[in-house]
Amino acid sequence: MPRPVLILGAVLAALLALLWLSGGLALVERQAIEAQRWVQSALAGAIRQLRADRAGALAALLGLSFAYGVFHAVGPGHGKMLIGGYGMATRVRLGPLALIAILSSLAQATVAVVLVYAGIALFGWTRDRLIDGADQVTAPVSYAIVALIGVWLMVRGWRGIRGGQGDGQTAAPDPGRVHAHHDHAHHDHAHVHDDHCGHAHAPTPAQVARLTGWRDTAALIAGVAVRPCTGALFVLILTWQMGIGAGGILAAYAMGLGTALVTVGVAALSVWAREGTFAALPAKAISRAAPVLEITVGAIVALVASRLLLAAI
Amino acid sequence: MTVTGPALAAMLAVCTALPALAHPHVFIDTEVEVILNAEGKVDAIRVTWIYDELYTLSIIEDRGFDPDFDGVLDSAEKAALSGFDMVWDEGYSGDTYVLAGETPLGLSGPSDWTADYVAGQLVSTHLRQVETPVDPRDAPLIVQSYDPSFYVSYRIVGTPKVTGGTDCAAEIFEPDRAAADKAFEAALEEYYGSDLEGDFPAVGAAYADEVRLTCPARS
Repeated sequence: MPRPVLILGAVLAALLALLWLSGGLALVERQAIEAQRWVQSALAGAIRQLRADRAGALAALLGLSFAYGVFHAVGPGHGKMLIGGYGMATRVRLGPLALIAILSSLAQATVAVVLVYAGIALFGWTRDRLIDGADQVTAPVSYAIVALIGVWLMVRGWRGIRGGQGDGQTAAPDPGRVHAHHDHAHHDHAHVHDDHCGHAHAPTPAQVARLTGWRDTAALIAGVAVRPCTGALFVLILTWQMGIGAGGILAAYAMGLGTALVTVGVAALSVWAREGTFAALPAKAISRAAPVLEITVGAIVALVASRLLLAAI
Repeated sequence: MTVTGPALAAMLAVCTALPALAHPHVFIDTEVEVILNAEGKVDAIRVTWIYDELYTLSIIEDRGFDPDFDGVLDSAEKAALSGFDMVWDEGYSGDTYVLAGETPLGLSGPSDWTADYVAGQLVSTHLRQVETPVDPRDAPLIVQSYDPSFYVSYRIVGTPKVTGGTDCAAEIFEPDRAAADKAFEAALEEYYGSDLEGDFPAVGAAYADEVRLTCPARS
């Protein structure tokens, strides 16, 4: 992307954040809640229709569930914080991050399905027991995972600073150091320090590998997925009670895809904002700014998640 | 850091604050009736709750009612519904708040409840006595309907009723959203300045619809 377009991303993200903080987005959230109220009523209608075996009822249920997922996700949540924070902190390409956003939403739906069918069908839990249990157990677990990911980002940023102290600060980087701080990556990174090098903005294979590393991927997906959406639980329990469980399971996944739509948007914005921040900086400063950004975002994610964790236990 | 640093921090600060506030799963339309006694004092509030269709369906299914899904209950089923939402956990406020001017009033627990099933929606009513009846001519009476945790999203609907008394008028007021946002920010700031153990500020009231009862001043 051209540099001004990149920088626009950072400005846009900053504006959105300010708008949100000043209450400007509260209107959007209120609209989303009104929409959710409407969709929730319509969902009940579609479930009745499905029970009555009306033609087109399943399509209506899935469409409404997708919409429910979208409106529900417009409010802030742990998944968006996690994916957005990771995208802000780490030089990851949008493709893999978006894929993770989608996978984690689908995994979240799977957790809801497993929880409901294990809880109700096997253990005979009531709806209240199940939903309270989901709140009391999965919420703290999810916040703990998110907090740990935040700490992990900080550790990685700190390593980046320690390893990269020579970068950008000295006029002539010491080639020995340059290689030394990438000790575990067997690539030649010397070209990154070339001032004319526009492709310094593009992630190197090693950076992409950071994300596709199974541990990060698994942690991100787990952090999102472990906490099922209460709306999905409601629909799954209800459809099971009404003998149309298969439709309910499909609806839970449709909700997941709706949520994913918003999370992918957050992922895109975070990547755009991060690259925009870097594009706004002089090339030499990027290697210094990157770990600082990583530490800052990691610290915020860790702090926010541990506050939520303390409140939840 | 660039401009995104503080902005991001701010964004995430708001993110932390809102999860508890942002995801209602039950939607209730509330109707309010203010009941005045012979002296023209506010004696009780009758609250009507109209539940959303999905929550209604869940409650109906839990009890195995309406097996043919035609939205009609037989009289035995209707009788069995009575009081379905009137077993309140200890410490549950009932989500109805009554103020004389700015002074919160104590309310009794629920009594005289009813429940019905109308066109796919559960409708329940209950009465809350005002512990010490107040004269609405001294200060405007305010009735609010909200869940501080926002699990339930309330909305006041219909025309508020006034029973008894003379010349009092009840109106629904939308909250001053801008003022509510300011109050929210201020509470948030205080919250983050305090220790981690602190409870999240209860700012739901500032965003709640309310019914205001105004009566001509005594001559």
